[in-house]
Amino acid sequence: MNGMGAAIALGKRELIRQVRQPSRIVASIVTPLLVWVFFVGGFSSAVGQNNTDQNLTAYMIPGVASLTVMFASIFASISLIQDRHDGVLRAALISPAPRWSIVVGKVGAGALVAMLQGLVVLAALPFLGVEMSVLGAIGACVGLGLISIALIGLGLGLAWIVDSSQGFHGIMNAVLMPMWLTSGAVFPINDAAGWLKIIAMANPLSWAHSAIRGSLGMPGIEGVPVGLDWLISAMFAGGCIVLATAVMGQASKRR
Amino acid sequence: MKIIEVDQLRVVYSNKDGDRVALDGVSLGVGGESIALLGPNGAGKSTLMGALAGTLTADDGTIRRNYENGLGVVFQTPALDELLTVRENLALAGALHGMTKNAIGSAINSITASLELTDRLDQQVRHLSGGLKRRADLARALLPNPGLLLLDEPTSGLDVEARASLWSSLDSIRNGSEMAVIYATHMTEEAAKADRVVLLADGKIVIDGAPAELIEGLGSSVLRIRLPDETQAEAIKAWSKEIGCPSVSRGNEVLISHAKPEHAGKCPGEPELITLAAPTLEDVYLWHARSSFSGGEL
Repeated sequence: MNGMGAAIALGKRELIRQVRQPSRIVASIVTPLLVWVFFVGGFSSAVGQNNTDQNLTAYMIPGVASLTVMFASIFASISLIQDRHDGVLRAALISPAPRWSIVVGKVGAGALVAMLQGLVVLAALPFLGVEMSVLGAIGACVGLGLISIALIGLGLGLAWIVDSSQGFHGIMNAVLMPMWLTSGAVFPINDAAGWLKIIAMANPLSWAHSAIRGSLGMPGIEGVPVGLDWLISAMFAGGCIVLATAVMGQASKRR
Repeated sequence: MKIIEVDQLRVVYSNKDGDRVALDGVSLGVGGESIALLGPNGAGKSTLMGALAGTLTADDGTIRRNYENGLGVVFQTPALDELLTVRENLALAGALHGMTKNAIGSAINSITASLELTDRLDQQVRHLSGGLKRRADLARALLPNPGLLLLDEPTSGLDVEARASLWSSLDSIRNGSEMAVIYATHMTEEAAKADRVVLLADGKIVIDGAPAELIEGLGSSVLRIRLPDETQAEAIKAWSKEIGCPSVSRGNEVLISHAKPEHAGKCPGEPELITLAAPTLEDVYLWHARSSFSGGEL
């Protein structure tokens, strides 16, 4: 059967769920807004008072946007655990819909919500002296989307294996926080110490940050062919989708 | 032709405490009929349902599926999204089965009319009563007009009225349909509605037959004897042998099949309670479950 219809229906369901839970709407708007207020109104003034370059604040904004996307992605993927045991996913799993359609539906809707939250944070850039063109904004949007797709895909695969919300949170934090910290989110990779630079270059999130910064006219990873950051980011997202589909393709036997 | 054929199915759960055999060489052929899977907790009913639904991998054996339009499954708790309306849930189920928009629309109209859910279509599931949720879940499972419908204890947690309503809905849907139905239940009165009853114990099929035939197998009357303590059970069983009637016991209760009215007054020992009645499916269940577990005789 054509799985796209199933993927769209599952994605629509995720979005309806988002809209019908006021607490989720408030959380998804307030979190990035708080980050926004902190950086534009507080952090940038503090940096300015210390006579340092205000562009440090602007530099950090894409990284903070990706952090917002990361939390939204964890939230989107953790729902799989409950959904699989008590929810509608049980019906999806016994239906003829291909497993990839379940992954695509969940990832598509989750990535859309996460990307919009990330964009709220990015909207701080013009207030920090960074001009954002329409094309640049679209590029940043795609970059955040790729991060979200990758992280939700990774999360779905993990949620399928771990099978407990507590375990899932623990592992995701243990994997994702170091990934984010070493990705150049809060420091320029080009100026980092040698060992940290090696770790950062091996971290796919670094390349996504580089792609986003590049599209916003900020410096990305230096000395690499143009477009390599986009290619690696796209491969990371695609790879995580394939991984999630493969993991979810396994029938289970737990008792 | 069989709609589904199970051959020598074996499922073993492994954990740190060791292996537990949940299904041990189960074979079952199902045509266009209804089958009740009966058995105590841990007998393997849910495992067999999981294997039939394809959500669980068997360690050995085969399952051949010959049904069209896929499979409908009603789980122990409704597989509905509480935040979606009944219509949205059903549309999602249709999309998962690859149905077109038009087909989904007409299937929703006809199934919800049969299940008396038409006026609830645009209500969110979280606002429905437990009984209505089950009916909506049944509508979800029936939407693609499946060749096989599996129901895993579909009435657990429902009150008497809601249970009766669900079974009546199911009967009206099944009437004249070729659809095979397999349902797991703890309740013998629900099992009695099926064309066939399959009793599972310790992962094995203990009995398989039409309810009337199984009841007939216990003779015209069953003597149920409750004793003050279980030490007297052996004496009662020895007496039942003497009078030529098979017996089984568990704890302080002994069941004697093929009993005659005069046996009731001749029972040795000091029974607390003696009842003589025509056998029911509950007696069949107790008889075979006790035989399997206690090593009693048939």
